Amino acid sequence: MKIGNINIVEIKESQIGAALAISFLLFNVIFWAYPFLWLVILSVTEWRFFDVPTFSGLKNFFAVLYDPEFWRSLWNVIRFLGYYVPIVLACSLGFAFGLQHIGRGKVFIALSFLVAHISSGVAYSLVFEKIFSSTGPLNTFLADWFGFTIPWLSSPNMAMLSISLVVTWKFVGYYGLILYSGLVAIPQEIYDAAKLDNTKLLTKLFKVTLPMINAQLVMVLVFAITVAFGIFTEPYMITGGGPMESTNMPLLVIYETAFNRLQPSRAALMAIIIAVVSYLVIKIMRKLLEKNVELV
Amino acid sequence: MKTIISIFLAGSLLLLGSCSESGPTTEDATTNKVIKLWVAPDESQEAFWKIVVERWNKSGLGTPVELKTIPAVESSEKAILTALVADNAPDISTNIFSGFSTQLASLGQLQDLSVMDGYQELVSVRHMETIMQGWDQDGKKYVFPLYSNPTLIWWRRDILQRLGIIKIPETYDDVYALSEQYAASDNKYGMQIMTGKIWYDRWFDFISFYYAASNGAPYVKDGKALYKNEAGLAVLTFMETIYKNGWTALDFESDDPLTTGLVVGGVRGPWSISFFERMYPDTLKKIIVGPMITKHKGDGKTFTLADSKGLVIFKNSKVKEEAFAFISWVFSNDEISLLWLEKTSLPPARGDLMDNVIFKNFYNTHPIARQYASYVNVAVPSAFTENTIDVQKTMGFEMVDPVKFGTKSPEAALADAVRRTDKILRAEH
Repeated sequence: MKIGNINIVEIKESQIGAALAISFLLFNVIFWAYPFLWLVILSVTEWRFFDVPTFSGLKNFFAVLYDPEFWRSLWNVIRFLGYYVPIVLACSLGFAFGLQHIGRGKVFIALSFLVAHISSGVAYSLVFEKIFSSTGPLNTFLADWFGFTIPWLSSPNMAMLSISLVVTWKFVGYYGLILYSGLVAIPQEIYDAAKLDNTKLLTKLFKVTLPMINAQLVMVLVFAITVAFGIFTEPYMITGGGPMESTNMPLLVIYETAFNRLQPSRAALMAIIIAVVSYLVIKIMRKLLEKNVELV
Repeated sequence: MKTIISIFLAGSLLLLGSCSESGPTTEDATTNKVIKLWVAPDESQEAFWKIVVERWNKSGLGTPVELKTIPAVESSEKAILTALVADNAPDISTNIFSGFSTQLASLGQLQDLSVMDGYQELVSVRHMETIMQGWDQDGKKYVFPLYSNPTLIWWRRDILQRLGIIKIPETYDDVYALSEQYAASDNKYGMQIMTGKIWYDRWFDFISFYYAASNGAPYVKDGKALYKNEAGLAVLTFMETIYKNGWTALDFESDDPLTTGLVVGGVRGPWSISFFERMYPDTLKKIIVGPMITKHKGDGKTFTLADSKGLVIFKNSKVKEEAFAFISWVFSNDEISLLWLEKTSLPPARGDLMDNVIFKNFYNTHPIARQYASYVNVAVPSAFTENTIDVQKTMGFEMVDPVKFGTKSPEAALADAVRRTDKILRAEH
């Protein structure tokens, strides 16, 4: 419908588009841009919840720079990734391959694995804390049948592995489905061609399958890295950041700095550093691993 | 810069304010006033306050009280702090420990109770003069202590008897002897030494043992760590011996080891009485309570930690006088103190606990609670420091954990912990 040179339908569509875009922008302004700017202001001020923030220059920067607990928590992220990435990738790939070969009940199995993802972090952390205890059911079983126990949560070397196993349990279904979507999109012809060339199983995996699901693998890795920097409930509930701060993660340090030490300005700077470091890690990972896969 | 900050601050308060709850439900229609009271998220304490508030509101003696449990998702401290920042704080809050009260006082959020009308009478009627000295903060009294929980050691009487031990263990050697005997049996340990993995667990292991070894000497005072001494070394050497010999497990997170008989003894507070009454009544019948253990048994009672918490009135409250009138009514009434004892088993913070006739009947029929009450006068509160969390995290990281894993000698661990604590305290002051 046209009035003069104006198309009514076009106006309506553009208005709807603008309205939708504005609601998204508004959401981001309130829940992302505003808190982030507040964070930036806090990071260069001295504020203790009740007074007016006063500019403090680099005071918070030096306080964080010389805070060994904070830097240890960043090192713990690397340690966590060292355990978590190989375990969760192997398990998720196994899950995705398994799902590919299931005939009936595929949806049920996929949903069963997703239950872990939507479970309450506090609830399952309490369960795993008991399972992994020195005197818990897992160690009682090991002691009864094999005559040894494993200090799952009480050894500084083992505790991070145990936390990684719990987080793997949570995400394996979610990541597995992402990888599965990549696997089912690989054309069968490629595998047929590989078969004609007598390609071995491992060669097929590393030369065909994994390169073909590069986009999904990178996506899973991005998620894994963000999980590593943002993990809170599991170490808070299961190990409390110990033993010997071996599972003390950045969010725990930020939380304690803000709410126990009552230093929100310092915690704000820590949050900004974590955001920048996690962004850089993701950027480097993508630079190293992301490939543009095209079927010609 | 100041303008930008003001805009952001105003925006934040607006957001937080909009998240706060709508008006009170039990506001006095005529005066439009209500006293908001937050109480500890603990079943037995909630039961007590429910009865008391109901009686007060029915009596018409003063401004009505609206009772709410501290909405503690992670910790009471965080919930209270968030409410204060959002201008949604109660008028009175219970469950305040010494370190948190020091922080709130330094932020100017607490009312000095000693200037309130009726304060002296209240302290006098409860014989709390000496107790209140322990809560002095620069000549001011911001906290009214509600209870004083000494930490003592629970022993499984049946296991001690089985091991042929008649006397309750009181020294490290007593514990070594029984541990050696009991740990020789299948997958058993002597004593639970560490109570948990969080910073506040140090109250119930190292600090409790340290107070016992040092006759209640402070571990932090005037911005300095003071536990690098004979007492500190004795405690760490004891811990090292127990761990080295495998007489305790690295953790007991699965079940309470006293209930499963994995250990013969462990440090417990009086809050465990009501918990065991509900959950493990059969085990409770087999428990006898002894003092904290020391290297050598001294004369008189062994000192221990007082896990003591109290209530505060917030400075921004618009009903401070009314709130204190309510507090005075509750805590000057002996019957209500008895009700507290019956509901919670926690020794009320008052100086006449063992002499007042009104408590005698209760203690005659509750021997474990009586034991705790008898140690109130040798139970020392934790240090008044804004840096409680750092002080106790350092104890764990530099001292207790390395000794537990055998990576540091007790001497080295003690020196490292004190050095790091002093550095932290210096930096913050």
